[in-house]
Amino acid sequence: MLSIENLSVVIRRPGRQVAALNDITFAVRPGEVVGLVGESGGGKSMVARAIVGLLPDGSHATGRVVFDDADVLGMDEVALAAHRGRGVAICFQNPRGALSPTRTVGRQLVDRLVTHQNMPVDRAREAARELFEAVGIRSPQRRLDAYPHELSGGMAQRVMISLATGCAPGLLIADEPTTGLDVTLTREILRQFRHAADTDGRGVLLISHDLASIAEVCDRVVVLYAGTVVESGPAAQVLREPAHPYTRALLRSVPDVGGRPVVATAGAMPLLTRAPQNCPFVARCGHADDTCAARRPTTEPLAGGPDGWSLACFHPQAGPIGAEPEPVRAIPAADPAVGPQAKSTVLEIDDAHVVYRSRFGSGGHHALRGVSLRVAAGETLGVVGESGCGKSTLAKLVMGLVSPTSGAVTVAGHSLVRQPGRAHLRGRALRQARTRAQLVFQDPIGSLSPRRTVADSIAEPLRAAGLSAAERAARVAAVLDRMELDRSILQRYPHELSGGQAQRVGIARALVGEPDLIVFDEPTSALDVTVQAQILTVISEVTADKDRAAVFISHDLATVRGFADRVVVLYLGRIVEEGPVDVVFDHPRHPYTMALLASAPRLGGGTGAGGDAVELVKDLEEADATTGCPLAARCPFVTDTCRTQQQHLQPYGASRAACWRAPELAALTGKQATTP
Amino acid sequence: MADLRTAGPAGATDQGVAADAGGTRDGRFARVLITTGAAILTVVVVAAVFAPLLSSWGETVIDPASTLAAPGGGHLLGTDGNGMDIWSRVLYAARLDLGIAVAAVALAVVAGTLLGLVAGYRGGWLDDVLMRVVDIFQAFPTFILALAVAALLGNGTLNLVLTIAAVNAPAYARLVRAEVRTLRELPFVDAAVTSGASTAGILWRHLLPNSLTPVRVIAPLNCGWAMLTLAGLSFLGLGVSIPAAEWGAMISLGAADVVGGRWWTSVPPGLALLVCVLGFSLLGEGLQERADAKRR
Amino acid sequence: MRILRFVVRRLLQLIPVLLGVVVLTFLLVRVLPGDPVRTILGQNATEADAAAARARFGLDQPLWRQFLDYLRGLVTGDFGTSIQSGGSVGAEMALRVGPTLELVVIAVTIALVAATVLGVWSARRANRPGDHGIRVLALIGNSVPDFWLGLVLVLVGYSVLGWFPAPSGRVDPDTNLTPLTGADLIDAVLTGNGPAIASAAAYLVLPVLTLVVGVVAPLLRSVRASALEVLRSEPYAAAEAHGLPRRTLLYGYLLRATLVRLPSLAALVFGTAIGSTVLVEYVYSWQGFGQWALRGLLYRDYPVVQASVLMIALCYVVVFLVADVVHAILDPRVRI
Repeated sequence: MLSIENLSVVIRRPGRQVAALNDITFAVRPGEVVGLVGESGGGKSMVARAIVGLLPDGSHATGRVVFDDADVLGMDEVALAAHRGRGVAICFQNPRGALSPTRTVGRQLVDRLVTHQNMPVDRAREAARELFEAVGIRSPQRRLDAYPHELSGGMAQRVMISLATGCAPGLLIADEPTTGLDVTLTREILRQFRHAADTDGRGVLLISHDLASIAEVCDRVVVLYAGTVVESGPAAQVLREPAHPYTRALLRSVPDVGGRPVVATAGAMPLLTRAPQNCPFVARCGHADDTCAARRPTTEPLAGGPDGWSLACFHPQAGPIGAEPEPVRAIPAADPAVGPQAKSTVLEIDDAHVVYRSRFGSGGHHALRGVSLRVAAGETLGVVGESGCGKSTLAKLVMGLVSPTSGAVTVAGHSLVRQPGRAHLRGRALRQARTRAQLVFQDPIGSLSPRRTVADSIAEPLRAAGLSAAERAARVAAVLDRMELDRSILQRYPHELSGGQAQRVGIARALVGEPDLIVFDEPTSALDVTVQAQILTVISEVTADKDRAAVFISHDLATVRGFADRVVVLYLGRIVEEGPVDVVFDHPRHPYTMALLASAPRLGGGTGAGGDAVELVKDLEEADATTGCPLAARCPFVTDTCRTQQQHLQPYGASRAACWRAPELAALTGKQATTP
Repeated sequence: MADLRTAGPAGATDQGVAADAGGTRDGRFARVLITTGAAILTVVVVAAVFAPLLSSWGETVIDPASTLAAPGGGHLLGTDGNGMDIWSRVLYAARLDLGIAVAAVALAVVAGTLLGLVAGYRGGWLDDVLMRVVDIFQAFPTFILALAVAALLGNGTLNLVLTIAAVNAPAYARLVRAEVRTLRELPFVDAAVTSGASTAGILWRHLLPNSLTPVRVIAPLNCGWAMLTLAGLSFLGLGVSIPAAEWGAMISLGAADVVGGRWWTSVPPGLALLVCVLGFSLLGEGLQERADAKRR
Repeated sequence: MRILRFVVRRLLQLIPVLLGVVVLTFLLVRVLPGDPVRTILGQNATEADAAAARARFGLDQPLWRQFLDYLRGLVTGDFGTSIQSGGSVGAEMALRVGPTLELVVIAVTIALVAATVLGVWSARRANRPGDHGIRVLALIGNSVPDFWLGLVLVLVGYSVLGWFPAPSGRVDPDTNLTPLTGADLIDAVLTGNGPAIASAAAYLVLPVLTLVVGVVAPLLRSVRASALEVLRSEPYAAAEAHGLPRRTLLYGYLLRATLVRLPSLAALVFGTAIGSTVLVEYVYSWQGFGQWALRGLLYRDYPVVQASVLMIALCYVVVFLVADVVHAILDPRVRI
């Protein structure tokens, strides 16, 4: 149906030239789901743009993009108009942003139906309702009249899918369809695409940076690197035993809930100005030799591999990843022997509540509801939960950026904000006390002042300490070396940095004042996969410091498992489970933890908990607040007690969980409970 | 409710990777706009500075032999009802017009930015009070407010600067405040706070440089508007008064001649004013275009 | 019903602003230099005459007293007596509002339509010659001093071509128009006075044109920028990539999203137009509200200045309120 042959795209703008795609060849057949995988800059979006004939200004495309016997690159405006939507329809990344804000979603769907399926409007409205229902939208009749801003992220993604399928396209393209969605929703959304291929016979092209998460629903995957196809083949096999060193590096960069160590690959993807003459991965590859540097490998079928498995490499690898000796340093899994007992407490939170009051009127948002925890020097605490669970509020609370509505927070013995019934510091003393805790932000570039140089940003905490300019420069230089950053970066501005560089700068700023506590708030979620692995390596080294405490906040359980000693699971502002990281991950006690683990992707296919996965019954946004257990509305094991009364954290072996049914859950899920 | 002439599409912040705007088509147009605007303004400044060299009659010299003389002869653009040379006065007038407008806008920018900065960051009652005052000021169309304040202060040069500055400052206060309130929620401000930066440090080192971007774009447009306001006030007799040379006052003096078909007393000063304001407009539009291109 | 609640809430929010406006106008006028009584009585008046005159206008009272009297007057709809003419300010104002509103409403309406059509047209051809041309024209329109433009139009339209009547008055007195609303064109239509309709329309052309040029330029720039923003937005690109036909794109995805911003722009432009009318009425001797207010200001006629400034502010604030409501209706994202 779709066949891309030797597609190359060069973007020429005065003063620069980018070879965005080089000799791309692959095909999508009806009823087939193909995953297009790679990091940003790899050319994934450019492929999608080429398929719908929406290349950016200044592009020069060569090769062929054949769709149903017609070359898209040669189409005129009329042919393109017919091709778009009916031939190929895209599900856009960030669906809430891609829906027209001033038109009801029902109307937008009707527009597509009327245009591409020639329905009369009243019939189209009926069809729209059915489509909404088919993609899993509850009360579809009501949602037809909703505006995009009234929808949750998951709902918007479903609407987007319905809009794309409403065009009745031969080929459905989904651009990073699960970005920003919680793990529990991700699987559900991906299933929708599998469904579209299986029942409607559409071809589906799934674009993602995360091979592991989409492999499950894909028939085949195509891996892009620097605008070239490095490997393509059957999804399951490629995922299990990738043959191209880059695919292997990509997979090794992703943490795994099983506790497999992350291996970082140094370097960054090159930005090519013209078609490469050698292997584009040569500079980062552990197996590269002179041949790789001199010639560009052609795409060949893998010897001995199944049909349709091909790659462009002189040195194909074999066997499951992790089996080979690791040439690069690995993040050591956390050492559970270092207990928190003997060390001094750095962070102490006691029954903290945070309520954001709405500016007018009563009510407000109860972000944290009675959280207590302590972290000792040398210890790393992991905090996990879905978006909206209060993770970010917890980070702000620790840093003194929000005040607890009730309860208390102390960092290194000081209270950083005004708290009921407690003394607090002022002026210079307060500012110095603040520097004892440092935060590493989710958005690395946004956390740097746009009009300040890197040198200025890193030195900021030292100003409060009153150090001289010379001392500041020396300390900055030292921390720069530790972050393996070049001195030349000091005079640059944030917008001139890559995400990885900016995050290293952010960590350097956090470290420079030798704080007692560092809080990492989703430090890698905005980064590319191989860069993520590099940053995680840096962070693991920082958290290994025995005098310092660390809090690592993430929605990604696998990342947390990599280096936390203890873990706390947050749900709707409450701690539902806590304990040593291995105990909680291997023997979860709370249904919510089980569900989170179940939906986390694992290498080699399958997910965390295998076949007996616990699934929550509704999206987070739809769960109503109840007086009882916060999970009651979504929990498959709910009882009347759960609905009316809230359980507090109860000890079970080494961990604690807040669930009425925790003692019987092991039997209910059919899993053998072994108390460590 | 700033005057629309000064209000571009709001919130131009050039964060993120700067696009290579120079070479694209809109980038070229932006460059043409900026170059033309700058060229016009350069010519006006040169005319103002070298007015004595470029004209044979002085600013207020009366030629009793010829009143309301048509262009030609000893007077390039003729004379007005007082017998003063129009060409000379058009050149000299650039001094007052440019000087008052630029000084007033500079004053408005400084005052408005400071107020907006503090109100936006501090929030609370200070913000509430300040914004209510701005609301009250902006409940008047700007020119009406300028009329009232000009009548109140009287028509010295300094008073005109103060009038036009006072009328414009609230818009800057509001603009910078809005910008600061957006910036304040960004992580880099939190980063500064947790790094122990003082309030003054945050304002001066982080918020001020970042909130000035839209001001930079709007100030040139505002200069043009200030000149129009000044000329309007003078036209109505509330600004600069004859015999001082100012384009609005000159037009006012020549207004009555128009009915009789005597165009040279009012058309040349108006054209000069138009061209000068156009210079500012082109410059501002170009800067706006460039800022937008960067944002994309 | 929700719209009504929204309107009421916005009205309540207006109260402090309006109170501030009242206080500000009152004080503004009191600190104006120049003694109005002396101006009226002339140089020869004795101190006793002046004192008597002051007592007559209540100017001998302490400031707070004057303010209370003024407030009481406002509540009962009494704007006081003009120092200059000795007539009721309220009555004089009623006479003047009609002609000015006629001018402003016609001009703003024409400008809105023209700016929307041209702005969207220009945005859809962004960075092609037609777009550049429109933008340069808009910049020139933005830079023209409106009073001077008025004079040039008089010069061309009356002195040179003789197509339009002389710039004095609003209708030929020979047509014997019976004033009803004060807006002459409407009065002429209402009374069925044929010659008056033609005359009033002829008198209107030049001043309306002057106002339109000044007002359409900034509006056009904003509409273009707003439309361009929509055209380059993700939702529009998504609709385009889904192959929707041009008509649907234009009416369903571009126009409404662009027009969402129009109400507040229109309100802003209304204010600009009110400001400009002072100048334009002066040029065309329109004898409307603007000229009346200007004369009050020049002669330090307290009650007239107070009333006119207050009236303008009130009008402006109400226009903004209407704009907010229209915006709330157009934009589903506004919470009401």
